[in-house]
Amino acid sequence: MPMFQPSRRDGVVAGFDGSGDGQVLDLDTAVKDGILGGVGGGVIGAAVCEKLDLKKMIEELDLPDIPPVFICPISLEPMQDPVTLCTGQTYERSNILKWFNLGHYTCPITMQELWDDSVTPNRTLYHLICTWFSQKYLLMKKRSEDVQGRASELLITLKKVKGQARVQALKELHQVVSSHATARKAVVEEGGIAVISSLLGPFTSHAVGSEAIGILVNLELDSESKTNLMQPAKISLMVDMLNEGSIETKISCTHLIEKLMEEKDFRPEVVSSHSLLVGLMRLVKDKRHTNGILPGLSLLGSICLLKEVRSLIVRIGAVSQLVELLPALEPDCLELALFVLDTLSSLPEGIGSLKDCPNTIPNLVRLLMRFSENCTQYALSILWSVCKLAPEECSSVAVEAGLGAKLLLIQCGCNPALKQRSAELLKLCRLNYTDTIFISKCKLTRTIQ
Amino acid sequence: MGLLCSRNRHSNEADAKENAQAEEIERRIEQETRAEKHIQKLLLLGAGESGKSTIFKQIKLLFQTGFDEAELKSYISVIHANVYQTIKVLFDGLKEFSQNETDSSKYVLSGENKEIGEKLSEIGGKLEYPRLTKELAQEIETLWKDPAIQETYARGNELQVPDSAHYFMENLQRFSDANYIPTKDDVLFARVRTTGVVEIQFSPVGENKKSGEVYRLFDVGGQRNERRKWIHLFEGVTAVIFCAAISDYDQTLFEDEQKNRMMETKELFDWVLKQPCFEKTSFMLFLNKFDIFEKKVLKVPLNVCEWFKDYQPVSTGKQEVEHAYEFVKKKFEELYFESNTPDRGRIFKIYRTTALDQKLVKKTFKLVDETLRLRRRNQYEAGLL
Repeated sequence: MPMFQPSRRDGVVAGFDGSGDGQVLDLDTAVKDGILGGVGGGVIGAAVCEKLDLKKMIEELDLPDIPPVFICPISLEPMQDPVTLCTGQTYERSNILKWFNLGHYTCPITMQELWDDSVTPNRTLYHLICTWFSQKYLLMKKRSEDVQGRASELLITLKKVKGQARVQALKELHQVVSSHATARKAVVEEGGIAVISSLLGPFTSHAVGSEAIGILVNLELDSESKTNLMQPAKISLMVDMLNEGSIETKISCTHLIEKLMEEKDFRPEVVSSHSLLVGLMRLVKDKRHTNGILPGLSLLGSICLLKEVRSLIVRIGAVSQLVELLPALEPDCLELALFVLDTLSSLPEGIGSLKDCPNTIPNLVRLLMRFSENCTQYALSILWSVCKLAPEECSSVAVEAGLGAKLLLIQCGCNPALKQRSAELLKLCRLNYTDTIFISKCKLTRTIQ
Repeated sequence: MGLLCSRNRHSNEADAKENAQAEEIERRIEQETRAEKHIQKLLLLGAGESGKSTIFKQIKLLFQTGFDEAELKSYISVIHANVYQTIKVLFDGLKEFSQNETDSSKYVLSGENKEIGEKLSEIGGKLEYPRLTKELAQEIETLWKDPAIQETYARGNELQVPDSAHYFMENLQRFSDANYIPTKDDVLFARVRTTGVVEIQFSPVGENKKSGEVYRLFDVGGQRNERRKWIHLFEGVTAVIFCAAISDYDQTLFEDEQKNRMMETKELFDWVLKQPCFEKTSFMLFLNKFDIFEKKVLKVPLNVCEWFKDYQPVSTGKQEVEHAYEFVKKKFEELYFESNTPDRGRIFKIYRTTALDQKLVKKTFKLVDETLRLRRRNQYEAGLL
């Protein structure tokens, strides 16, 4: 049972001293703000409360620092219909009635037996709660309109200014748009996307470009905007920023390009760029900024779905770089990386690179059955392709790396497709060994044998 | 004893003074070395007539005090020389065509123009040129306007007609004026084969006044026989600005008329990229002469050049120009990345330029400056500085 502890600060009970933070209902401020009825604010407060649904306001505001006196001791939620018992304690009506229905006729806080089971609506407290929430709600609405207004202003400014003023306006718009949904809506509705896109071109400075991309990536882009952004000069700019910018800029560029790829008529040649792919690989390999790895791999994954670009990915040496990365990757990144490698293994040059990279087999074998089933599936698929390409060479390396035991493990408990694949691989690997030697390579204990 | 003492004291004083001087010198050397470290060296490279020297002149005009009257006047003889050289190339070319072509009637000069042509060709072949008088200018203009010469000019890519030929021919009256002082544009168009190395030091002042970057720009000769002079400049260069004239795809070299200029540029770029001294150098590729490229690409297909033989035109007009440009750009990118494994993490950026357009050069250079500053910031953050 929750024991209500009045907050004692410096030995003074909350609510009765004038000092304090937002948690305490500060009397001085309360009068000034009109919550306690001074300066005619109280009347307005009540009237406003009627118009604005208290429940709706509480939900929309979702504030963390509600004065404790407004909170129902049973549910710890703000009260919408406070009622007081004969003991003087106040609860939310529905909660205290539930308490009574369970057969308890005590006051939950004081634990006294009730000599009077009537519940009195606490109009005063209700009035205070309404006024407090109304004030906060109106403030929030105003702030949100302010933000909207500010966003509109900034868009108008952007159409006029150049140079440093332009950079400043973009910076502020970026900030505003990142933190307020209303600002985002305002920008989209007022044709802001077109304005910002028009700033991107072959002579756009990095300062302007990085802020512009930061803004665009937060917004809902329609088909026309996306097509506009796919112009070669704009894409070039994004690729440059992906190579040169801060980690946040790099991630924004990555996300934006991925968004553009969702467009129906997306032409693969847009992403068929050495600079882009090399830049992505650098992002993925960045040890100092690991938050770029997932976005980078995600975009790389989307790109390798395009057949036309796959061989380019292989040509820039992505295969061996990804293989070397595998041991250090987090599980979600790992699955993406394996997906990419598996897709690339369908190309002759891809599977060739995989075979030539000395760490392919050991790294992949180590991964089997250690992460998600998808990871195991991709790893197995790649191993199968590599071993099939050069059975003599690769099977022995695989077996030395401990593939045997893993395959047997897969046989014990995975989906049928996986089991089938592992059985095939097992057959391939056993070709060069006698049974005894193979089993010993599997390093199995006697019992399992 | 006393004497000894005093002598010791004297030599001690002398020693102390020497030491102080030596220290002072050391300190100054150290200061200058440190200052040198802050100066970023930029090297302008590229094949002959790729626009390196024009860029060089533009930087001088933009970030230094430009050219004073004496310097401007020094270009008069160069411009006159260019005029004579141009008309000579055209006339000699015309004679060549008239001898070899089936429809040589196109290449027959009218009236006295043949004599004028012979005279001018003789002048143009001498080691020193006479001053361009009003009469000579008139004769050159008459010859230039002759249909046969115009026909020859239309096939200028097969000869060594300079890109600025049209500009020179259109301004003959002004050039031959007795009080002629060359304008900035005249200087930019003037063509001298750079021999040796020229350098300027400058600081790009812009809105970002606290940038404080100091650059030293080197321009070297582009023709093949000058390349050996570049070697000693390769140490410690911050960035290479490699100029490639993309309008050159249908022209041949001055020093070797069998070799296509674009192929030469391709090989040179590849060679430069592979030099070990450029391992950490940023590369700024200026795809230059875009203004000429724009017009040419709609008339002369890109695939006349072997490197671009897989080019397929897609449309017409501005769209086609953009498509062709992107194609050329991708070819250079391909060359860079495929000659560059493993990825050394160098900065490589491509800029579209028209070196004669001062505004564009200024914009372009601002971007180059921004990139180099970003690089320094990134290196600093990575703990490399």
